[in-house]
Amino acid sequence: MKSNTISIVISGVGGQGVLTLAEILAKAALSDSHNVRVGEIHGMAQRGGHVACTVRIGAGARGPIVDPGTANLLVGFEPVETLREAHMIREGGCVLLSSHIQYPIAVSMGKAAYPTNKEIIGDIRKFTDCILEFDAMAMAKEAGSSRALNMIMLGAIIGTGLTPITEEAAIDAVRNTFSKKFESINIKAVKMGREKVEELNR
Amino acid sequence: MTKSKQLLEDNVGKKMLLLANESIARGVLEAGVRLVALYPGTPSSEIGNNLTFMAPHISNFYFEFSTNEKVAMEVAGAAAVAGVRSMMVCKGPGLNVAADPFFSLAYVGVRGGMVIVVADDPSMWSSQNENDSRYYALMGNMPMIEPSDPSEAKSMLLQAYEISEKLELPILFRTTTRINHTRSPVTFGSIRDRPKKIEFVKEPFRFVPIPSVARIRHPWLLKQIEFAMEISESTELNFTTGSGNLGIITSGVSYNYVIEALSALDINAETLKLGMTHPVPEKMISEFLKRHKQVMMVEELGPFLETHARRIAQLNRIKTDILGKEQGFFPRTLEYSPRIVIEALSKILNRNTSINWKAIDRKAAEISELPPRPPLLCAGCPHRATYYAIRTATRGKAIYPSDIGCYTLSIAPPLETADILFDMGSSITTACGLAEVTDQDIVATIGDSTFFAAGLPGIANAVYNQHRISLVILDNHTTAMTGHQPHPGTGVTGMQRNVPPLNIARVCKGLGVEYVKTIDPFASLAALVAAVREMITWTRENHKPAVLVSIAPCALLEAAKRRRTGEFPPPYYVDSELCNSCKRCLNRLSCPAMYLDVETGQAVIDQTMCNLCGTCIAVCPQGAIKQEVV
Repeated sequence: MKSNTISIVISGVGGQGVLTLAEILAKAALSDSHNVRVGEIHGMAQRGGHVACTVRIGAGARGPIVDPGTANLLVGFEPVETLREAHMIREGGCVLLSSHIQYPIAVSMGKAAYPTNKEIIGDIRKFTDCILEFDAMAMAKEAGSSRALNMIMLGAIIGTGLTPITEEAAIDAVRNTFSKKFESINIKAVKMGREKVEELNR
Repeated sequence: MTKSKQLLEDNVGKKMLLLANESIARGVLEAGVRLVALYPGTPSSEIGNNLTFMAPHISNFYFEFSTNEKVAMEVAGAAAVAGVRSMMVCKGPGLNVAADPFFSLAYVGVRGGMVIVVADDPSMWSSQNENDSRYYALMGNMPMIEPSDPSEAKSMLLQAYEISEKLELPILFRTTTRINHTRSPVTFGSIRDRPKKIEFVKEPFRFVPIPSVARIRHPWLLKQIEFAMEISESTELNFTTGSGNLGIITSGVSYNYVIEALSALDINAETLKLGMTHPVPEKMISEFLKRHKQVMMVEELGPFLETHARRIAQLNRIKTDILGKEQGFFPRTLEYSPRIVIEALSKILNRNTSINWKAIDRKAAEISELPPRPPLLCAGCPHRATYYAIRTATRGKAIYPSDIGCYTLSIAPPLETADILFDMGSSITTACGLAEVTDQDIVATIGDSTFFAAGLPGIANAVYNQHRISLVILDNHTTAMTGHQPHPGTGVTGMQRNVPPLNIARVCKGLGVEYVKTIDPFASLAALVAAVREMITWTRENHKPAVLVSIAPCALLEAAKRRRTGEFPPPYYVDSELCNSCKRCLNRLSCPAMYLDVETGQAVIDQTMCNLCGTCIAVCPQGAIKQEVV
C-alpha cells in the first residue's frame, strides 16, 4: 500500500510451484533483512485449480492481501491465469507472462473457449503496457526439468529489478530449500529466467 | 533441513519465515506443552503436519492425530485436567464436532494450561461454511484470544497458557485463514521443559459434572469470567494505538488492514486493538467510546465486537455513533482486505478512496469471460476411476450422497457424483434418510479418513435399521485433502510409530455389514463397473447396507514415491493413427493430464502431468490410448 512496499501477485495452476516460488522469494527477502509477508491459500486450491498467492516486501507490509490496482508485479505461470489476475496490477506495474498454455478441462470438453494470445495481451494492456512474455515451460525443460518452471519465474522476477531481492540471496534460498539432487537445474533455471527478462527489457 | 527440524532448534533470537501454523507448532515447544491432539483440517493443517515430525525428537511430549475433533478435545482436555499443558487444534467446523466436550470443559475447568486453537475460514477457501467460532466463546464462556499475525500467534499463545492456568480454564485461541496461511518473520524464544509423568489427583465432584456438580460449576465459571474480565482490562493484549477524532475497534487479521488503510489515506485515528476478545474489556471499551463521537468497528464475519460495543454504550449511556455492519459499512460475509476498510473510511469521512477501484472493476468487467479452472481430482487419482464406474453403472440416475474430502470434487462435470453433503460422515447417514423416502438407488461415497472420523456411527445405524444403501469407501491410505496425514487405517501414528492398521473391510464386517467387498480401481474398469452394479442389486434385493472398499494409494503420494526412487513406468500416449477424435476420454474422465489438440482435434496426454494410472486406456473405444513398451 505504502510506496515503500513492493506487492507481487503470483498466479498459476495448482501443481506448478506457485506457493514454493512465493516462499523462496520471501526467504530471500528476509535473508537481506527486509520485512515480508506471504499470503497463501491451501487445500482445495491446490488440486489443479487456479492458484494465486501474494508476496509483499517492505516496512509497510502488514497483512498478506494485495488489493486490485496495487500490485507492482504480476507473475503469471499460464496465460489465462495471468489475465485472471490482471486487475491486480497498479498503474505502471509490470506483468511477467509464461506463454505455455495448460488447457482447463472445460476447454478440452468443448464447454469453454480459450482466448487467443492477442485477446489475452489486449486485455492485460487495459491495465498496463509493461508485459514481458516468454515460454517459461520450454525454458524449464531446457534447464533440465519441467518442474523448474517456478525457478525460471524466480529468475525473471529478479531480472525485472522491481524487487530488492538479489540473485545471490535468491540462489541461497534455493540451495537451502531443495535437495542437492536438483540444485544445478534450479540454479541454471534462475539464471536463464533472469537473463531472459534482461534481454526482453533491453 | 526440513521445516520441522528447524522448528526444533534451541536457538533463541533466531528469525525465521513462518506460517502462523508453523509459529504455533514452535509455540508448543516454547510453552512446554506436554500433549497435543487434533484431527487435521485446513486452514489449521500445518500445525499437525509439523508437530508429527517434531514429536519423536521432543522429550516428554505426546502428539496424536485423533480420529476426530471430539476425540481430540477429550484427549487434550483430560491431560489438562490431570495437570499438564495441552492443546487441541481444529478448523471452524471441527469445533462444531467438538462442541459437546467444549462446553463441559468450561464447567469443570483444567489444572494445567489448555489452549484450543480454532482456524476459521472467512471466504470458505476450504470449508463448507464460514461459521464464526467467536460465538462459541460467548456461549460456552470460554476466554478467547485472537492473534493478528504469525508473530503474535506464538507470543500470544505463550500468554494464553499463563492466563489459562491463572483462571483454571481452557482458552479458545481463534485464528483465521489469512493468519494461518500468512508467512512472516517470527523470532524464536527459549524452549520450556515438560514434566515426564504426573499423578492424576482425584476430584470427582469437580470433574464429573453430574447435575449437582454442574449446578455448582456454572456459578464458578461465571465468577472465573469476572476474573478474566480483570485480566482483559489490564493485559497488554488489548491496547490502543494512534490518536485522532475517529475511533476504530478491531481484532485479528483486520487490525493489519486498518493500519494499512490509515496509512494509504493518511488519516489519523485512535485504534483499539483487542487481542483478548472474551471477555472483552468493558471499562476499556467504555472509556474508548466516550472519547470518540464516531467509532468504526472492523471485524470479519459476525458483528461480535460491534454487539458488545452497542451493549456497553447502552449500559453506560454513552452517545456515540458505532459504525459497523448494522448500518452496512461492512459486510458480514467473506474475508476483508485493506480496500474494504479504505472504502468504509472514505464513506464515513466523505472523501475519495486512495485508488479508483470503480474504474478498475469496470475494466475487469470488460474482460471477455475466461474459461473456469476449478480444482479437480488430480491426474492419476484413484477416485476418478471409481466415480467413473459408479456413474457408468448407474447411468447417472442414482442419488450420490457425498462426504468431506478430495472426492467432494466429483461434484464437477463430467463425474457429477455428489448430490448431498452436510458434514463429516453425512454420506452414510443422509443415504439412510433418503433410502426411506425414495425408491431411487443410492450410492454413497466416503473417504478412508472420514470413515474413521465420522462414518462408524452411520454404518451401525444403517446395519441396525436395515437401510438399503450402497456405500463405496474410497481408501487411498491417507487424509489427502488436508496434506496427507495418517489415520487409523494407515499404520502410522502422530508420533511416527508403526502400529497395526485397522482394516476397513473388517471394521464394516465387525459392525454387521453382510455385504463387504474390496476392489483395486486400477485393476479393471469393467470389473469395477460390474462390482458397483452387483452391490446395488444386492441392496435392492436384501434391503440392507452393502459396502465396496475401493483401494489404491493417493496419486500425489505415488508420484512423490516415483520421484524419490527414480523408477518411472513407461509413459502413456494417444496413438494418432487410431484416435478418431470422439473425445470420449476428455468428456467422461476430465483428467487434468489430457487435453484437446486444437489443430488435430485429437486428445493428447500431457506427460509432464500424467500420473500413470492408465484409467483412460479402458475408456477409449478405439483402443487408441496406449502405454509405451520398453
